[in-house]
Amino acid sequence: MPVSASAIYFLNLRGDVLINRLYRDDVGGNMVDAFRVHIMQTKELGTCPVRQIGGCSFFYMRISNVYIVIVVSSNANVACAFKFVVEAVSLFKSYFGGAFDEDAIRNNFVLIYELLDEIMDFGYPQNLSPEILKLYITQEGVRSPFSSKPTDRPVPNATLQVTGAVGWRREGLVYKKNEVFLDIVESVNLLMSSKGSVLRCDVTGKVLMKCFLSGMPDLKLGLNDKIGLEKESQLKSRPTKSGKTIELDDVTFHQCVNLTRFNSEKTVSFVPPDGEFELMKYRITEGVNLPFKVLPTIKELGRTRMEVNVKVKSVFGAKMFALGVVIKIPVPKQTAKTNFQVTSGRAKYNAAIDCLVWKIRKFPGQTEPTLSAEVELISTMAEKKSWTKPPIQMEFQVPMFTASGLRVRFLKVWEKSGYNTVEWVRYITKAGSYEIRC
Amino acid sequence: MAPPAQSHRSASPSQPSGKSEVSDLKSQLRQLAGNRAPGVDDSKRELFKKVISYMTIGIDVSSLFGEMVMCSATSDIVLKKMCYLYVGNYAKGNPDLALLTINFLQRDCKDVDPMIRGLALRSLCSLRVANLVEYLVGPLELGLKDNNSYVRMVAVIGVLKLYHISASTCVDEDFLATLKHLMLNDPDTQVVANCLSALQEIWSSEASTSEEASREREALLSKPVVYYFLNRIKEFSEWAQCLVLELVAKYVPSDSNEIFDIMNLLEDRLQHANGAVVLASIKVFMQLTLSMTDVHQQVYERIKAPLLTLVSSGSPEQSYAVLSHLHLLVIRAPYIFSEDYKHFYCQYNEPSYVKKLKLEMLTAVANESNTYEIVTELCEYAANVDIPIARESIRAVGKIALQQYDVNAIVDRLLQFLEMEKDYVTAEALVLVKDLLRKYPQWSHDCIAVVGNISSKNVQEPKAKAALIWMLGEYSQDMHDAPYILENLIENWDEEHSAEVRLHLLTAVMKCFFKRPPETQKALGAALAAGLADFHQDVHDRALFYYRLLQYNVSVAEHVVNPPKQAVSVFADTHSNEIKDRIFDEFNSLSVVYQKPSYMFTDKEHRGPFEFSDEHVNLSPGTESADTVVPAQRVDANDKDLLLSTAEKDEGRDASSNGSAYSAPSYDIAASQTQKESSISNSNIPGNTLPSSSAIDDLLGLGFPIETATTPTPPPLNLNQKAILDPGTFQQKWRQLPISLSQECSINPEGVASLTAPNALLRHMQSHSIHCIAQGGQPPNFKLFFFAQKAEESSTFLVECIINTSSAKTQIKIKADDQSASQAFSTLFQTALSKFGFP
Repeated sequence: MPVSASAIYFLNLRGDVLINRLYRDDVGGNMVDAFRVHIMQTKELGTCPVRQIGGCSFFYMRISNVYIVIVVSSNANVACAFKFVVEAVSLFKSYFGGAFDEDAIRNNFVLIYELLDEIMDFGYPQNLSPEILKLYITQEGVRSPFSSKPTDRPVPNATLQVTGAVGWRREGLVYKKNEVFLDIVESVNLLMSSKGSVLRCDVTGKVLMKCFLSGMPDLKLGLNDKIGLEKESQLKSRPTKSGKTIELDDVTFHQCVNLTRFNSEKTVSFVPPDGEFELMKYRITEGVNLPFKVLPTIKELGRTRMEVNVKVKSVFGAKMFALGVVIKIPVPKQTAKTNFQVTSGRAKYNAAIDCLVWKIRKFPGQTEPTLSAEVELISTMAEKKSWTKPPIQMEFQVPMFTASGLRVRFLKVWEKSGYNTVEWVRYITKAGSYEIRC
Repeated sequence: MAPPAQSHRSASPSQPSGKSEVSDLKSQLRQLAGNRAPGVDDSKRELFKKVISYMTIGIDVSSLFGEMVMCSATSDIVLKKMCYLYVGNYAKGNPDLALLTINFLQRDCKDVDPMIRGLALRSLCSLRVANLVEYLVGPLELGLKDNNSYVRMVAVIGVLKLYHISASTCVDEDFLATLKHLMLNDPDTQVVANCLSALQEIWSSEASTSEEASREREALLSKPVVYYFLNRIKEFSEWAQCLVLELVAKYVPSDSNEIFDIMNLLEDRLQHANGAVVLASIKVFMQLTLSMTDVHQQVYERIKAPLLTLVSSGSPEQSYAVLSHLHLLVIRAPYIFSEDYKHFYCQYNEPSYVKKLKLEMLTAVANESNTYEIVTELCEYAANVDIPIARESIRAVGKIALQQYDVNAIVDRLLQFLEMEKDYVTAEALVLVKDLLRKYPQWSHDCIAVVGNISSKNVQEPKAKAALIWMLGEYSQDMHDAPYILENLIENWDEEHSAEVRLHLLTAVMKCFFKRPPETQKALGAALAAGLADFHQDVHDRALFYYRLLQYNVSVAEHVVNPPKQAVSVFADTHSNEIKDRIFDEFNSLSVVYQKPSYMFTDKEHRGPFEFSDEHVNLSPGTESADTVVPAQRVDANDKDLLLSTAEKDEGRDASSNGSAYSAPSYDIAASQTQKESSISNSNIPGNTLPSSSAIDDLLGLGFPIETATTPTPPPLNLNQKAILDPGTFQQKWRQLPISLSQECSINPEGVASLTAPNALLRHMQSHSIHCIAQGGQPPNFKLFFFAQKAEESSTFLVECIINTSSAKTQIKIKADDQSASQAFSTLFQTALSKFGFP
């Protein structure tokens, strides 16, 4: 059984019900109370997102300051249920224009009920595609598209789209200026030992697109990934060009991508949905270019003093720069006083998270600023040896840099009317969980 | 327009705060009902929003039903939707009022706008009122034939809703055949998918009673149907694809060519952006190749990458759901994942439920080539802020040590843990060192040196303390001050709350005694004395057993308590293979997350009616075995409970609560029905094991008064005042006869306390025609054997009676020639006994 949700609840952090949609009768009406009493008001909150209470299972997710709870009474498909929640939230976001939080829900609760009615029936997920739903569920609440503008959208076509096969794009779109925006967004996950050896490192990347294209265009995307290049050189029977090729560990695509063609020809070809969407996701573990190296030395001088020296080295091109760099260096709880010297940016001690927070707004490539700090500790008898050093954590964004080295080689747009398109390509690398043990 | 921010949480109907507002709304709605002025829809909308927002926060607005229906005559679609929502919510509770809505819903079902038709039909089917079923059939039939797919899609689910309201109507009206036809012929895939969902659900639930339904369910898995779905799979929405894949996973292909065809067709599904589709495809691949070992291995290799991607993307909740599945596969085939161990390294900020699964996977994949790295990584976590995770990681190190051949380095790490001077680390490490020594006694020298440095004062957790005491006993010859540490512990006997520790203490001091008699003798004496006086039955019995053993023959005792041991080669696995396979069959469902087959959490008989047990999501494998045992016991207990009147229950409670520490919980079990938790904990803690016989005995004892009350009263039992039985015959009979009754009861505490020798009791019992044949023991424990004979015939009763004077409690075992009379005799005996001590 896929999801067969018996009920969906939206609760705020205090446990007040914001939305309450019962799909089936097989659970009691007191399920919200059960959730509040047995999960929200206990320490269990956050220990496990799937819980059984009585005969029902609760799947819950916190999104900003809202809990979304799905109640099922059968042996449901958990992965599907969570994916449904995530998709539903992104659908709501696309309706509210950005934020999904308690206020947005309170302001749009009628709309949410309308949508919940459409995206799930009797606990079975139905159509969740924003492009299609927006055709007939509008915030203005005008009459349905079928009858209001019969001339614009002939009925048989529109209904086919409501439920039908080309779920992601409607016909008859017209733009004055045909534009495609393509962003490659990578996040680097790193776990480095205190001795500087890489314990674990991988890159998860997304190709995000924003299409403003008329008609039914066919797009073709070429990347410098190994399999694609090899296939191409095979087809054109010329040797592979030298230069960096990237080996993708795994790729997943938006449903618009023709997977059969990808598997046979190794090209990414698709008819894009209108507007914003995530074209593909990939993961790479080999040959990752780490944008930053962190060299910490932390010396404990007796019981009440510590010396912290951290050098951060940027390893990308000198002409590039990173933005919003934050380095969080952990210090013990009983820190009393700190003195810093930094060669770049600003640092301060944040007692709430027990960290020295060092921020550098603009961090050029091939530089290595340092922080040296003296930390004085309150001497306590009780907490001898009890400081377990958490890792140093880093946040950053490096525009025009990909940790994987992935590049777009071409992006071709073909439409039968033969219009010209403007293509914009951007790259950005962010820190995922970038941890250095010390 | 926002719903009012309500601070009160109760969902109870008609709250005082809402009452005046509701009646306010009522009058406003009335005013608008007949109004057709332009712009009136906007004010209606505001009012409707208010009503819906009250409904959401749990204020009962069902009293507005009539007004809401009156206002529903509108062309505004949003108004209509709000009205439908309202009606759907309250129709069930107000079936009479629901009739009012039928009219306008039926009218809407014939609207020119397919949107309205669909919405109205959906609401009509959501009324859930059994006596309105007749109004559903017509619109549903029309809906299924509608030329608009939106309406058909709604109608299909409508049939399923109808089935849940009235299964017979649904079956009789032949909707199922229509659904089947639509499923195989409709051009719209969402309609097809909904048909599949509906038919699967209906036929599965019908299958138990109707043969035809079970045939139809089988037919869904036939080759033509499965191929029909497979060929269209790319047209389906991502959610419907999950549904189809689930169906395909159950399909049994006829030959290997078919298997490869299906896998080739579905290969690209592994690259789908929706993780649920990927997981469903993985299930298909795994199930199809189960019988082909080589291909099955290749499938593992193929699905590794997509699974690892899914784990590392998405929210923690999503990755937890995927990780649970990865966990299952890793445990099934650890060697395939042994090179990917780095993916299971924990990140600092990950939630602990993710970390816990990762630790288990790290443990599973450890082999000769990666052990060093994994153990190094695990040791990092031992210093983690999150104490449960730190404990888990230490345990993981220990498990790896127990499954490896070369444990050299690991032993050093474990010993380092002991030196970290953190109580919980020490505690976990001690338990591990103990297990390690049981498997690798050759490491005793290194370990003992470190263990000897640990002050027993710093070890508080029962398990750790027991482990330390075990080592003190086992290696007392190598630890200089072992006897003295034990002696210290025995001095604090009364403060030791854990029976497990006390049991270990008894055994350890015995072992120590055999190795170093002069130093331990005093401690041993103290331990035995304390043990004999212990209120815990197991501790008491073990002390008595040791005492007798020593009395009998010291060298035999040594052989029993401290025999030469063989190292343990394999520790028992907690999950049975059958359960593992069942979970695997239910891949991609809750079973995998809960790590138990679905019948354990969906079937009623496997859950208590009201239990809100925390144990359920407990991922520790230990609960598994306990779970399977519990139901039988509980059913028993429930049945007994039904038989008992409250008065009798109280009586029983008194009898047991006087002295027996462990029978009390078993009564609570029977009484409160929340037994699952307690019985699990009981059966999980070895030191506190509820001796199963005593639980049953209690129940029998309780059941007894009922039987006498319901069956015709038997003639009063008269005993022969001058019964004679020679000891030889007694012994012979005692050996031959089965125990017909065994129970505990209390006796007058004052009388027993003054009992310095059993003679007084013997005389007292004799006055009740119950004769003593043998007696023994020392304060506080006496053991007596009695016999009695019926006055009329030569039928004999034999009794073994153990009296503990400190707890004023006796244990009685009765054997009888005439089993049927033993209950009556037992009452007689207890009455006699209870009178003892009174003038």
